[in-house]
Formats: sequence, structure tokens, C-alpha cells
Amino acid sequence: MEYVIEMNHITKQFGDFKANDDITLQVKKGEVHALLGENGAGKSTLMSVLFGLYQPEEGEIKINGKTVKINNPNDANDLGIGMVHQHFKLVHNFTVLESIVLGRETVKMGVLKMEDARKKVMELSEKYKFKIDPDAYISDITVGMQQRVEILKMLYCDNDILIFDEPTAVLTPQEIHELMKVMKQLVAEGKSIIFITHKLNEIKEVADRCSVLRKGKYIGTINVADTTKEQMSEMMVGRKVNLNVEKTEMNPGDAVLEVKNLTIKSKASGKEAVKNVSFKVRKGEILCVAGIDGNGQSELVYGITGLMPLDSGQVILNGKDITKESIRQKCIDGMAHIPEDRHKDGLVLDYTLQENLVLQTYYTDRFQKHGFLKFDAIREYAKELIKKFDIRSSHGETSSARGMSGGNQQKAIIARELDRNPEIVIAVQPVRGLDVGAIEYIHKQLVAQRDAGKAVLLVSLELDEVMNLSDRIVVMYEGEIVADLNPKEITTEELGLYMAGAKRSVKNEQ
Amino acid sequence: MNSKRKSIFKGEGFVNFSSSILAIICGLLFGFIILLASNPSQAVNGFMMIIKGGFTDGMKGVGDVLYYATPIIMTGLSVGFAFKTGLFNIGASGQFTAGAFAAVYVGIKWTFLPASIHWLVALLAAILVGALVGSIPGILKAFFNVNEVISAIMMNYIGMYIVNLLVRNYIYDPLKNQSVAVAKSAILPKAGLDKIFVGASLNIGIFIAVLCVILIYVILNKTTFGYELKACGLNPHASKYAGINEKRNIVLSMVISGALAGLGGALLYLAGSGKYLQVLDIIAPEGFSGISVALLGLSNPIGILFSGLFIGHITVGGYNMQLFDFVSEAIDIIIAAIVYCGALSLLFKTMIHKIQMKRAKKAEAKAVGTDKGKEA
Amino acid sequence: MSVLYFIIQQTMYFAIPLLIVAIGAMYSERSGVINIALEGIMVMGAFVGIFFINIFQDSISGQLLLILAVLIAGAVGGIFSLLHAFASVNMKADQTISGTALNMFAPAFAIYVARMIQGSQQIPFTDTFYIAKVPVLGSIPVIGPMFFQNCYITTFIGIGIFLVAAFAIKKTRFGLRLRACGEHPGAADSVGVNVAGIRYAGVIISGVLAGIGGLVFVVPTSTNFNATVAGYGFLAIAVLIFGQWRSGKILMAAFFFGIMKTLASAYSAIPILKSLPIPNEIYKTIPYVATLIVLIFSSKNSQAPRAEGIPYDKGSR
Repeated sequence: MEYVIEMNHITKQFGDFKANDDITLQVKKGEVHALLGENGAGKSTLMSVLFGLYQPEEGEIKINGKTVKINNPNDANDLGIGMVHQHFKLVHNFTVLESIVLGRETVKMGVLKMEDARKKVMELSEKYKFKIDPDAYISDITVGMQQRVEILKMLYCDNDILIFDEPTAVLTPQEIHELMKVMKQLVAEGKSIIFITHKLNEIKEVADRCSVLRKGKYIGTINVADTTKEQMSEMMVGRKVNLNVEKTEMNPGDAVLEVKNLTIKSKASGKEAVKNVSFKVRKGEILCVAGIDGNGQSELVYGITGLMPLDSGQVILNGKDITKESIRQKCIDGMAHIPEDRHKDGLVLDYTLQENLVLQTYYTDRFQKHGFLKFDAIREYAKELIKKFDIRSSHGETSSARGMSGGNQQKAIIARELDRNPEIVIAVQPVRGLDVGAIEYIHKQLVAQRDAGKAVLLVSLELDEVMNLSDRIVVMYEGEIVADLNPKEITTEELGLYMAGAKRSVKNEQ
Repeated sequence: MNSKRKSIFKGEGFVNFSSSILAIICGLLFGFIILLASNPSQAVNGFMMIIKGGFTDGMKGVGDVLYYATPIIMTGLSVGFAFKTGLFNIGASGQFTAGAFAAVYVGIKWTFLPASIHWLVALLAAILVGALVGSIPGILKAFFNVNEVISAIMMNYIGMYIVNLLVRNYIYDPLKNQSVAVAKSAILPKAGLDKIFVGASLNIGIFIAVLCVILIYVILNKTTFGYELKACGLNPHASKYAGINEKRNIVLSMVISGALAGLGGALLYLAGSGKYLQVLDIIAPEGFSGISVALLGLSNPIGILFSGLFIGHITVGGYNMQLFDFVSEAIDIIIAAIVYCGALSLLFKTMIHKIQMKRAKKAEAKAVGTDKGKEA
Repeated sequence: MSVLYFIIQQTMYFAIPLLIVAIGAMYSERSGVINIALEGIMVMGAFVGIFFINIFQDSISGQLLLILAVLIAGAVGGIFSLLHAFASVNMKADQTISGTALNMFAPAFAIYVARMIQGSQQIPFTDTFYIAKVPVLGSIPVIGPMFFQNCYITTFIGIGIFLVAAFAIKKTRFGLRLRACGEHPGAADSVGVNVAGIRYAGVIISGVLAGIGGLVFVVPTSTNFNATVAGYGFLAIAVLIFGQWRSGKILMAAFFFGIMKTLASAYSAIPILKSLPIPNEIYKTIPYVATLIVLIFSSKNSQAPRAEGIPYDKGSR
């Protein structure tokens, strides 16, 4: 057989946990081979094994029919394997050219010689119509451009086995389309591609064959053309799933949260990350802020919740101006925040679960008296929440938050925030990195809030989530709101155009 | 019953404790090698002196250990408390010196106070001044993002020079180039300790230090304030998200830390043991000892009490070692080695974990062996 | 005019060691390792270097002795810094604590060894290295008396080190890789750069330069070594922060602190300052107070390497 890659019976263990359990992956020359699986199914681990970042306990790897041992990324590179990582491996204050040559520098007596590299990079950029500026700094270019730099890194050292790890997560539909074209061009030139994803549409569009993993185990390999999306989805999750959230007709009331002319300057760059943004979130409504990562959504939420200072503008909650209130007062007034980064902002990882569950309420009379914590009351409350929200952990309320799974950590945050009975829930990418079960659960909780007449502000990068959950969509592009849309009246493609800044329907009154 | 015993040996606390013990053993071994290299014939005798420490000299020796331990327990608490808030207070020396000066100044000049409260006022003055000096790196960190390590080091030098200046201008004994003696009423009461530990300079300072240990333990573990401080130390972002005023906590933590160090200075210089503030360009070593004490005690107040006593113990040993023509700085070398080994705790922790794993596997194998019959 | 020359000459004595050590610190921190142990490494370098001079000053003398001592001090600093590299890179230890341990170790070791060998902790040496006037160059008007009179060969060694170091970090393969390891070690690792190796190199370079810096500091400013470099290692870190981790700005920062230190130590030779009714101790605090003030203004927008102080763990991607 003319397989370029054969990974046979790979097992990789971390402690007692088998991240890969007897997995086989065979990729033909000149094909786009999709690797499908949920978050945590073991896709990234398998690719890290192929890329030499991890050593498997069992199994063998054959490249072009020959058994090989890959000890580090250098070995992988020598075998022609290159990888676009999900989180880009780029140094923010390097230029594009420096980023591409890192690790493969041309030197004379140790001194860098950049001219040849520049020529080769420009040729490649032209060939694939990347329009790259070799002297731009990474921090100054868009996420889409950064991905092109990552692709150029692979092409620069003439790799012919290319791994794309969830490459579309950060792109607009238009950019995704461009990427698919590039992928097709690459396989047409005889390169082979492993395409890691959990998005079935994209597999349908570009892949020839697809291998499915679930919970660290190999499920099977199928021909994409002969298989329906439903079949693939069932293979991936192990049961029938319906990611379309059941939702009743919206019944909006008065505005709960009103944001007026918000402007926020980024501390690092001094540029305006949020420019004169205004919107309202009403009772019984899920308002979704859509946009490509890095267009000011994070800053907007930080500004509303008080984690970042505002340069101008107002935040009004139930008619009360809370712009100048402290973070704690905002919380007391009824603002709940499910943060973007649960490890950084949402949890004190070295605290126990019960300590984390009172992070917003430990100072109330329920949990303290004269400055002394009431440990019994805290434990009882934690037990109650654990039951109500089905938070699973090894030692119940005394488990360290660090030792819990991502899904249960997120459930703990959601329990803490929702049980306070807030007026508005601000949720930022609440299902990022979670498996389907947790996603369904969290989506249901958000819809339940809405149905109970609360307001929900959801920030999401995933178009499916945006289209499924929202009652109304505002699109952010370069810090501005460029569209205010009804999800029932637009298509994903249209939404993509707004996200890419190619279209706008809201004029900013300046 | 069995599971309870297991949990003690498996707990994080036990692992940390054993890694501290291992660090001490490695540090002492290194010290022995140094002694061996410099004077092989006396090395064993000298080393035994270190090990015996305070137990060489009967009750006097024990009293001396308590006396030496008192100030470094205070600076240890100072450093450890700040550690819990995520701050490295390397400035305990400056705070210690400033507190010592305040206490000595009050002790010399404020003789108008009634004798019964004179020493108390002097201690309070030390606490206040220590807190004030400590607040500066805290404020700079909270409001200007200045690295507290660098600013605290600068404060050590600034504090040292200014105290030198103040001693020379106000309470100077030019013949001895040091401060004059404090009034009798400012010297800490002995409370009968001199009768028990005859010949040692012990006084109620050690009780005050133990009181502080308990106080800090309660603050850290039982109060909302402690909950906030630890949250700030473990994750400042999440603390801010939870509405905890992390700037206020940084400043408060440094203020308390400074107060503890300042009080430590007072306890040493009001001990009536013939210690005077000397006008020298030397940074008080007690602050740095505090770092060792805090690290060895894993920043836990109770741990700090014991590690302070241990360091006091080998310090006394260091003085006794001079009998065998060794230089007492060997103790500082050993302490530095212990701190270094403490930093390598990961190495020790993995070692301990491996041993535990082996034991667990053995136990498992045994259990499986006996259970097999039942299951079948 | 002669006062101005005097100030500049004095400033060189203080600024050059700061420059050497701070540029070393830049290599360590931009590889991703905080090296607060510079103070201790300087003490070690100076201790062994001065001890060497003390022993051989009768058999060798002049510039050769000094250059040999500089080489020895650098080697000692490099070896001593290995302890910090081991703790930080292999053991993933808290870098501040490991550094503090070395800072505690060095003076204790220097005093212990000095007292065990020669009875007293101070090591005296004779200054046979002083250059009253460099031939030819020293006669150039204005520039001659500023830079080529009353000077030491170490000044020129220091400037040479600075030029090489500033070029290397910007223009060489090693420099590129080092910078990548300090900002995003995962990125460097993914293209096969040996992060641990680069970080070792960064720490060792800082150790060698700190060792040299310790000696270069003691030789022109003292006649004996007393197990201390007066907080110069810490000042060098302040210079690094004030210089925003960039070589050009570090140069300026080093000279700024050099002038501050000159004011502190040589104010009595400057007529205007001497006539002021300010006590000696206040002058001595100048460099430290200046550091605090400068840090207040330069810490808000820090350009610190992003991965600085964080042990690199392959598992966390």
C-alpha cells in the first residue's frame, strides 16, 4: 500500500489515563485525511506523538513504508512532517520573516543571513496568494495572516506531510473557504494533509477520508463521500446528538443592561480596542456578540464587568448607572460573569471546590461572622450546588479545583454565577474546549436563564453556537459594532462578511 | 483506620514536610563537606557541635536557642505572610532595622513614660515604623507595578543609611560607634525566664513571637481577610474578578509583613542582652534569615515557628563550633544550602512520590493477592 | 573643566560594571530565566579574582595580572551560575528563591574561606592596573582626558563586551533563538530549538559577565575586598528593567546609574556639592532612591520577556 503515514496501535498514557488507546491512523499520499473527534478524544495527543513531542508507550510509526522513531520535532521535520498548531507557535515581537526562519536559519559564522530566506518566503507567498509582509510584527497582523505565517513555516522547509490542528476555529467563513482552496492546491501538488477538526461541514467540503476517535479509542475510518454527516456525528459522540437547542419564541421585556458609547484603550498597544460601542440586552433575550477573535470582544466584556478601566461611556443595569461601581458592587447589583479563561479568571485553581463556589459570596453574612468564615455553612452550600448542578469530582466539595476536568470546572463556575440569581449573565465562550455532553448542558442552562426572564449576553467565536442560541446578534469588527442582526434572517455566509469587515449595516454616530 | 493512617502519609502536607527535612539533611551534608575540606581533622567534632546546637550547654543553651530564634521567627513570619499573598518580601531587613531604631529611640528618649508601659510603647513604635517601611514597596507594587523584590532591596539600603544617620544624630555613642543604652524600663521583662534558663538572655520576646504565630495562623486560615489574601497570592486575576480589592490587599499584606519584621527588630534590641545599633554599612542579616525560615517552614506559621527554632539551634551550634577553630559563617553557608535545596523541592517531591508509588503498588499487589480468593 | 573630567572618569568606574552585569542579566532574562543571583555571582567573581590578584601580585603585575583575574572571575561566575541554571531549568524551581540562596551563599562562602585561610575576612590588593594616561589617545583634547586618562583597561573590555553582546542578540542565530525562548518557548521547541540548552547558555553568560562585573567593580573603587559589592547586582537588575530589556537603553540606564553612584561616593570632591549641608548618608542613598523613582516611571509598561520566570514544561502547550 502507498501510505505516507502509518501509525499502528499507538498507546500513550499520562499516569493512569490513556489519552490514546490502541489507535491506528493510515494516510494515503495526496489526500486530505480528516481526524475527527470531540475535545479530549485524543486527536492532539496523537498528533503530538507523530510530531515527536510525546513518546508513545506502544505502537509503531511508518513513514513512506519505513518504520521510524520520532524523538523530537526536528526528527519530524527531517521526515517532512510539519504542523500548524491550534494555538499558533509564534513569537509576538518577531517579524514574519524571523518567525519563519526560526529553527532553520541560514547563517554565516553564526550571523544571520536573511536575504535568501526573504526571497524564498516571497516566492511561496506569491504562489499561494498569501500577500504577506515579511517585515510586519506578528502582534500587528490578523489571526488569519498569522495562520498563513504558520503555513509558510511548513512550506519553507519543504514539508510534504502537513498537519492542520483545528485550523478553522479562529477564521471567518470566507477565510475558511480560502484555506480550503489552499489545502486543495497543496494536495494537488502531491502533499498529504491531516486535517484535525470536529466540524462536519468542513470535512464534507475538503476531506477524502476520515478517521474517527472517541475517548482515546479508534472508532473507524470512512470514505467521506459515502458517509452522511449524521453518521459521522454518531461515530464521534457515540450516540445521536442534536446540537440544535430547543428554544421557545423569544418574549423580550425591558432593557436590563444598557451599554452607551463605550470606548476602551488597550493597555499594551494604546490603540482603541473598543470604539464607541452601544447596545441593549433585554429581559428574556440572548444577545450574542459575534466576531473573529481579537476584535475587541474580550475588552468589551472586561470593560462592562469592571476588570478593565473605561476611557469613556456608560454601563447601565436596570436603569442604574453602574459605570463607576466596583466589581463587587456590580456583582451585588445582579451581574454574573462566566469568564473567557476559566483558569485565569474564573477559578483559584489551588483552592478547593467549596472555596471556589463561594468566591463571589464569601463575604456575605451567610458565610462569615465578624470576619471569620463559617466553614460549616460553606460546606453545606457547596454540597447543595454540587447536587443541583451535577458537578463531579474525586473528593466532592474538598477536591482541589485544579484536579477537576474542564467540563466540571466550568459547571462549578456556572453554578456559582447562576445560583446568585443574577439579572444579567455575561458568558464568554462558555463551552470552549468542552465535550458534547457539557456543551448541551451549558447551553440548556443559558436558555433556561433566558426563559426565566433574565438577560443573557453571550460572546462567541463559534458560528454554530451564535446561530443556534441567539435571539439577536451584534457583530464586532475592529472594536466597533458593524451589524445588529436577527439570526432568523441571515445566513452564516452573510454573518461571515460582517465579521470580516467586508460589510456593515450599522453606522457609528460619531 | 487504615485509610486514616494512609491519608496522613499521602497528604500534601506530609510530602512538603518531608521535602523540608530532606532539604535540611542535604544542607547539613554540604556543610559537613565544607568543614571536611577546610579542616579534616576537626570536621567531625565541629559538625557534632552544629548538630547538638543548643543542647551543648544545658538550660543556658536551650535558652540561647529561644533567644536567637525570637527575631528570626518574626522576620520569618514577615516573609512567610507576604509569600501567602504572592509577594516576596526580601525587604524584611530594612523593616527590621527601622523597627529596631524606633524601639531603641523610644527606649532611650521617651523616659517620661511610666515604667510599666515604656517597653510596650517602644514595641508599638517598632510595629508602626516597620509597617510604614513595608508599605512603600507595597504601594509601589499595587499602584505602579514596580517589582517588589527590587524595590524592597532598595529600601534595605535606604533604610540602613537613614538609620545610620539617625543613630549618629540622635542616640549616638561616638566612642563605640553605636547607639547608647536604652532605659531599664524599656527592656523587655524576663518573667522569670532568667531563673529557668540561667545565663541566657531570654525574655518574654519569645512569648510575643509565639503569640504572633498564632495570630497569623488564625488570620490566614480562619478569616475572610485571610481567604482574600491567599486568593490574591494564588491567582490575582481570579481575585480581581471576584471583586477582591487586590491593590488594597497587596498594601495591607506588606504593611502587616513590615510590622512583623519591625517588631522582630524591637524584640532583639530591647532584649537587654548588650545588643546596640551599630553604625556600619551592613544590612541586617535577620531579614535574610527570615527568608530561610519562611521557606523552610513552607510559609506556614506553625512551620515557621519550628524552622525558626531549628535555625536558632544550629546558630548556637555555629558559635560553639568556634572552639574547634571553625568560622561561624559555616552556618550561613549551611543555611544557604538548605534554602537552595528547598528550591529544588520538586526533585524531593518526585522522589517521595516514587517511594509512595512503590509502596502503594506493593500494597496493591498484596491486596489483590488476598482478594482473589474472595472474588472467585 | 577638571571637575567635569573627574566626574566622567568616576562615572566610568561605576557605570562599566553595571553595564557588563546588566547586559549579562539581559541574556538570562531574555532566555526566560530571572537571575536575581547576580549579586552573589558578582561577589564570587570578585572574591576569587581579588584572591588571585592578592596571591600573584608579587610575581605578575600590571595589565596581564588584571586580564588573567578577569578571566578567572568570569569562569568562576559562569560555574557558580550553573547552580541557578540547574535549579531553574532542570528542577523548575522558583527562580527567585534559587537566586536568593546563591545570594546568601556567596558572601558567607567568601568570608568563611578568607577567614579560614588568612584569618581576616578582608582581602587587600595593590592597584598596579591604574592607567594615568593612555599613549596617543590620552592626548586628544577633551576626549582624551574624559575617557583615556585615569582609567583602567577594564573600561575598554566592558565596552567591547557590550558591543559584542548587543550585536549578538540582534543579529545572530543564537540571539534569535534566545529571544524566542524568552518570549514563547513553546514556539521555539516546536521548531526544534533546544529550550533547556538555550536557557543554560543564557544563565551561564549572565554568570560569566556578573563574575567579571564583580571584579571590575572592586578594582577601581577599593583597595580591599570585603565580601560585598554593595547591592550592585540588584542595581544591575534595576538597570535592566529601566533599560526595558533592550541593549541600547541598558547602555543609557547604566550611565544614568553610574552618575548617581558617582554623586553618592565622590560628592566630597565636587566643590558645589561638598559645600551643601547634606549629610554623607543622604548622598549614599541617592542611587537607591533614584532606582525607586525610575522604577515607578518605567514599570507601568513593561517590555519584560513574556515567558520570564516561568519554567518551560513541554506538556503544557
